[in-house]
Amino acid sequence: MDLSTGRRDDWERRYRLMSLMRRFEEACLEGVASGEIHGELHTAIGQEAIAAALAEHLLPGDALTSTHRNHLHAIAKGVPLVPLLAEIFEKETGLCGGHGGHMHVFSPEDRFSATGIVGASLPVALGHAYAARLEGRDAVAVAVIGDGAVNTGGFAEAMNMAGVLRLGLVVVIENNEWAISVPFSASSATPTLAERAPAYGAVGERVDGLDIDEVSAALGRAVGRARTGGGPAVVEAMCYRFRGHYEGDLDLYRDGAEKARRIAEKDPLRLAEQALDAAGLVTSERLAELAASADEEIRAALAAVRAAAQPDPRTARDHVFASGLVPANAVREETTA
Amino acid sequence: MTVTAARNINVSQATAEGLRLEMEADASVLVIGEDVAAQGGVFGSTRGLLKAFGPGRVLDTPISEMAFTGMAVGLAMEGYRPVVEIMFVDFIGVCLEQVYNAIAKIPYMSGGRVPMPVVIKTAGGSIGAAAQHSQTLWGLFAHLPGLRVVAPSNPYDSKGMIAAAVRSDDPVVFIEHKGLLLQRAADFAFGAAVPKECYDVPLDRAAVVRPGADLTLVTLSGSVRHAVAAAAAAADRGVDVEVVDLRSVVPIDWETVCGSAARTRRLLVVDEDYLGFGLSGELITGVVERLGLGALDHVARHGTPDVPVPAALSLEREIVPGADSILAAVLRAAGGTR
Repeated sequence: MDLSTGRRDDWERRYRLMSLMRRFEEACLEGVASGEIHGELHTAIGQEAIAAALAEHLLPGDALTSTHRNHLHAIAKGVPLVPLLAEIFEKETGLCGGHGGHMHVFSPEDRFSATGIVGASLPVALGHAYAARLEGRDAVAVAVIGDGAVNTGGFAEAMNMAGVLRLGLVVVIENNEWAISVPFSASSATPTLAERAPAYGAVGERVDGLDIDEVSAALGRAVGRARTGGGPAVVEAMCYRFRGHYEGDLDLYRDGAEKARRIAEKDPLRLAEQALDAAGLVTSERLAELAASADEEIRAALAAVRAAAQPDPRTARDHVFASGLVPANAVREETTA
Repeated sequence: MTVTAARNINVSQATAEGLRLEMEADASVLVIGEDVAAQGGVFGSTRGLLKAFGPGRVLDTPISEMAFTGMAVGLAMEGYRPVVEIMFVDFIGVCLEQVYNAIAKIPYMSGGRVPMPVVIKTAGGSIGAAAQHSQTLWGLFAHLPGLRVVAPSNPYDSKGMIAAAVRSDDPVVFIEHKGLLLQRAADFAFGAAVPKECYDVPLDRAAVVRPGADLTLVTLSGSVRHAVAAAAAAADRGVDVEVVDLRSVVPIDWETVCGSAARTRRLLVVDEDYLGFGLSGELITGVVERLGLGALDHVARHGTPDVPVPAALSLEREIVPGADSILAAVLRAAGGTR
């Protein structure tokens, strides 16, 4: 980590953002425990450094397409917190009126979208990158995927197309070592994922995804290259999934002691705290203040979300078609009711 | 609509002309797919577009349907109207995920904030090309909420419906029929006159191709011309068949279908798609739900049985509805009374 004193403000901002991300997902965990959030919920606790680094390089004109584990990426892209949390809590005030839910978050103003299908965000990013090309904009498209998605056909197809068209696509692989229950070592033919990039005319590098400084530097290189017409790039950020694949996952496939050790020793927030305190750059008191301020912001957001109503049941048939066409059987049920 | 001149163009040329006019009118329309640019499509239904609009708007892709279909999703999010060509509808399996999880669902999942004005243009139909190149599959798409599904039966509709599909803010699966694409306008008993001008055919209106009093035959796409031929033959046997060209599977024009069936009291659905769990069952059930059981004297369906389409023509003819088998089905449905 670059802990030069001139960067104190940067580090305070980073640390607060990572704290905010951690608290945001802890608020989601509360929602699961209380039964306010239903279905699968996938958190990225332990992966905050990657998302916070992304926030340092993405401009409003850039697109970010994300995965089922997407909350932190949405925050990184500037999606407003309260509507985001409200969508995850399936509320009327949610970004998508409760029609999307936590895996399907869409914020067209922020050029942010997500999918619940592994690998499916990559081709979508290709479309954003191609639009930038057609319009002569220097915008980039960032697709965040997990290590499991690299083994899908969509990765090969999208990378090849980005390579052949020299599109400004940056693929960020959050390699958290687990594709649900299957370890990275059992699912990849190559020792790293970054090394697959040259096969598609892209550059690739693997970085420590727990070190925000290292991730940010790599993203700076990849995004800068893509923005200036250098073509696609892959950044493989190594991290570790602190929670099960989803909330409720018994997580029996991982060794409990090993998991506890990894979490204790490799928490990106704790690593940053220790380094900043040891370097005397940001005092532990100041770090506590920043964390408390993030906590306060999330508390307020959670209160607003909890006060919001469930979606009106009468909106359940809305939005199937942009034209307003209503499915025939929906009409039929209503007319016979 | 003024018809300026009788032009003996073929169906694929009519489609290409419709696309060209829409691309001229709207710079956000793009065509993406395999062999759509230099080749102009394997049937010629994108011919001339590369020359007119350049490689940025008419993009030849690698054989990567998952990637370029998903690319259309991102392009739609950026305000474009992509036309994605899946060469044969049979290939949809490799990118169906993007079609039904992304294109069809994003308008809904986003609470109406992200429209997907994408056209999936593809070719179906049995012309002796065996099991993996002969399906129609509109029933598959129709089963998935969020997609309009259309299939034109003649050159006039092909040009007008591709125009309407491009203009539609909803995603549209546009299924051409391989057996029609190279047919010339003069070969058609209906929809043969194709104006040069820009026009559109509404995506939600069926057409009564042949009026009749005794029986309502509802069909679409390549089967319409067979149905018209069968109706002519049936007339010689004293059965006056009304042929309804559905044109759109989603939505179904219930007004036209039910209006006809209520008059004739006999309904026959002819479907080149697989019979089971498909359009024929939906149509008959939908008519009964709307008109009541007492409104009809007879319902019947004639479609491709639930077997893969065989290679040998003698086998294909045995299972895929044609003029002769449709005539037999008409006579069965009219049965007893004549």
